[in-house]
Amino acid sequence: MTFKSALEIDCGLRFMYDSLCIMSSCGRKMLLASDMMTTKSEIDAYYDRLNDIYSKECSKIAHKLMSLKDIHNTLSRLNDGTTLDDIELFEIKHLALLSLQTRQLLIELGINAVELPQLNKVVEILDPDGLNIPSFYVYDSYSDELREVRKQMKAMQAQGDNASDEERQALATLLQLHADLELKVRENLSQQLRAHTVELTTTLNNMAFLDILIAKAEQIKTMNLCFPNIAMGEYTLYNNMFHPAVKAHLAEQGKDFMPVDITFEHTPVTIIGANMGGKSVVLKSLALNQLLAQYGFGVAAQSCTIEPVEEIALCIGDEQSIVKGVSSFAGEILAIDSVIKKIRAGHKILALIDEPARTTNPVEGTALVEGLLEVIGNNNGAFIVTTHYNIENQSVKRYRVKGLKDGKMDYTLEETHCGEVPHEAIAIAESLGIDPQWIAYTKKNLNN
Amino acid sequence: MPFISEILKYDSLSIVGLEKNVGKTECLNYILRRLPLHEKSVAVTSIGIDGENKDQVTATHKPEIYLRQGMYLSTAEAHYRERRLVSELVEITNERSSLGRIVTAKVVIGGKALISGPSSGVSLRRWVEGMKKFDIGLTIIDGAISRLSSASPAISKAMILSTGAALSSNINTLVQKTKFVVEMIGLDKLEDESRDTLCDIESGVWGVDNEGNLVDFKITSALAINTIKVDITKGMKIIYTVGALTDKLLNLIAESKNIKNVTLVVKDFTKVFVNETTYRTFCARGGKIRVLQKSKLIAVCVNPTAPNGYVLDSDTLCSKLRDAIKLPVYDIVKNEYDI
Repeated sequence: MTFKSALEIDCGLRFMYDSLCIMSSCGRKMLLASDMMTTKSEIDAYYDRLNDIYSKECSKIAHKLMSLKDIHNTLSRLNDGTTLDDIELFEIKHLALLSLQTRQLLIELGINAVELPQLNKVVEILDPDGLNIPSFYVYDSYSDELREVRKQMKAMQAQGDNASDEERQALATLLQLHADLELKVRENLSQQLRAHTVELTTTLNNMAFLDILIAKAEQIKTMNLCFPNIAMGEYTLYNNMFHPAVKAHLAEQGKDFMPVDITFEHTPVTIIGANMGGKSVVLKSLALNQLLAQYGFGVAAQSCTIEPVEEIALCIGDEQSIVKGVSSFAGEILAIDSVIKKIRAGHKILALIDEPARTTNPVEGTALVEGLLEVIGNNNGAFIVTTHYNIENQSVKRYRVKGLKDGKMDYTLEETHCGEVPHEAIAIAESLGIDPQWIAYTKKNLNN
Repeated sequence: MPFISEILKYDSLSIVGLEKNVGKTECLNYILRRLPLHEKSVAVTSIGIDGENKDQVTATHKPEIYLRQGMYLSTAEAHYRERRLVSELVEITNERSSLGRIVTAKVVIGGKALISGPSSGVSLRRWVEGMKKFDIGLTIIDGAISRLSSASPAISKAMILSTGAALSSNINTLVQKTKFVVEMIGLDKLEDESRDTLCDIESGVWGVDNEGNLVDFKITSALAINTIKVDITKGMKIIYTVGALTDKLLNLIAESKNIKNVTLVVKDFTKVFVNETTYRTFCARGGKIRVLQKSKLIAVCVNPTAPNGYVLDSDTLCSKLRDAIKLPVYDIVKNEYDI
């Protein structure tokens, strides 16, 4: 799964992407096209590199990367054997000089996470006079013939408007000759540069990658994220997990986000708790953080151990599709069914399902959820559902949102062994200030 | 040599034409040929290619501009490739036009090139700002036909206006039309303590009451002025429209009883889109218009030849225009002025 398609998962990943300060367009492109990492070794290696950047002060490099231009097209034209024009040669010179400067900074800071190839040769080709300035034209020193023609041109131009018709004609001929000579030089330069296409492409890609790493490291600092431990075949554990988008939203209103702790292995997990107790936010945070870890971002928790999976399935009950003619119930059931099939086929999935079968009657709904938990059983990924139904199944791990306490919501998760769901719906409805008569009739009905 | 020394007093200049074929390019070439480059480094661009596209319709060539050694030019990639001069590419800017990215280069051996730069006011302002890093002393913008916006004082401090027989082949009409534009360019700057506050406003129509309080009329622009049913001038000393000043708004104020006590304010002359009769009526009733920022009009250049072949008498035209606008008027093509 590419990062671009992961952004479609409605878990707050887009918020993380939007707040990521990537300087260059090729950095963004590279990130969007990157694949999710699924093995421990791959992810560990990535975080080692990120940590290298994280521990250094990289603002100078970030500043340099602001002028990084995406010249993939130019490089592929060069590779195809095309003779480059002035603008393209300028782009290559610009990249080469930028790379030299960045390389120097990397050495000074002792950064090993990203290596940039030596492009001195390229600079030599495009800077024959050793001026070391990021500008380009077909310099006189490339060709003595060119130098001579230019001298003549200059002399003629000096005459300005007083030139005779013959002189104008001569100038036109000179201009043509000049254009031919320049082309010859550019052909020669393109030829020489062609040998360096691989290094140039590597440089462009590595600088884009460096840009991504610096942005991620910066995000870890500003959002207080953590580096995850990557486990294999063990368990997933979050200490003070939070959801950055929700946290930022609350902060705007002057409120605090209450972080939660959660641990799970391969047995299915149920989360029960009052309405508005943050169950869905827990599911979204789990999906988000799993994605963050597998795409090499900082993770939104104080500390965590994460087990990589092959796929993340987040069903939050909005699968209804008027277009496809599927009701919300059917949409949900079908989505869950596809998850079951994948788990059966041995895929390692983190499945997060928000209140399955909530749109049907509670008797059958409860039975459906019970059945779901039984059919899943232990699996090699993780299976977490939130529910308002009383689930009897003893082989699942249960979490309960602490819930209302003295009129205040405690979002903390606590492990419980009892399947009985809390009865706080009316109290919460009351706290929302709804019609008192409705509450009164509801209470009367409940007591009957 | 006329007005070159005047130009050197400013750091930004725009050249605008009131019509096609009024000799704007000759005027630009004239200036570029004579600027003393040892005194000031010069960068040239043009406001997009729109307007100039008409050239392709009438199948006449878009005029090339002659650039001298040491000058900087900013033009679109496609036009840069076609240049007939030797130049050193110094920057690929982030601005884009329909002909590709805008690039900046320094001329090594003089010659001709097509110039087509940024096409919006905002990007032009960024361009002027961006030229500072090359230590440019004077930025010159070749404005597009009937788009005075590049001459906005927000972009360039000084301007040269081109007019000619292409605008009208009747000398009196031509003088009249040009005079009106010159009059608008010459609108006085607002002298009021509220000026700084007004400068910061970004949209809408606003008022300043007699106590100096700012009043928002809650309309997005003067175009929506119909939605206001009350007399907006009541108790006001200033009415400020951030966007375009239209006939409708001008008429509305002209009809008000308070007209003599209220000053109508616009950002600069490029925002005035009123017809002359409406303006004269407005003034006759005691109305006055002021601007927040003013451009310096250095000179008016005329081309007495119309594209249909009609030729006006150059001397008569120049002298009549000079009398009408009280500013230097030159026929550059006819009089090959020397430095």
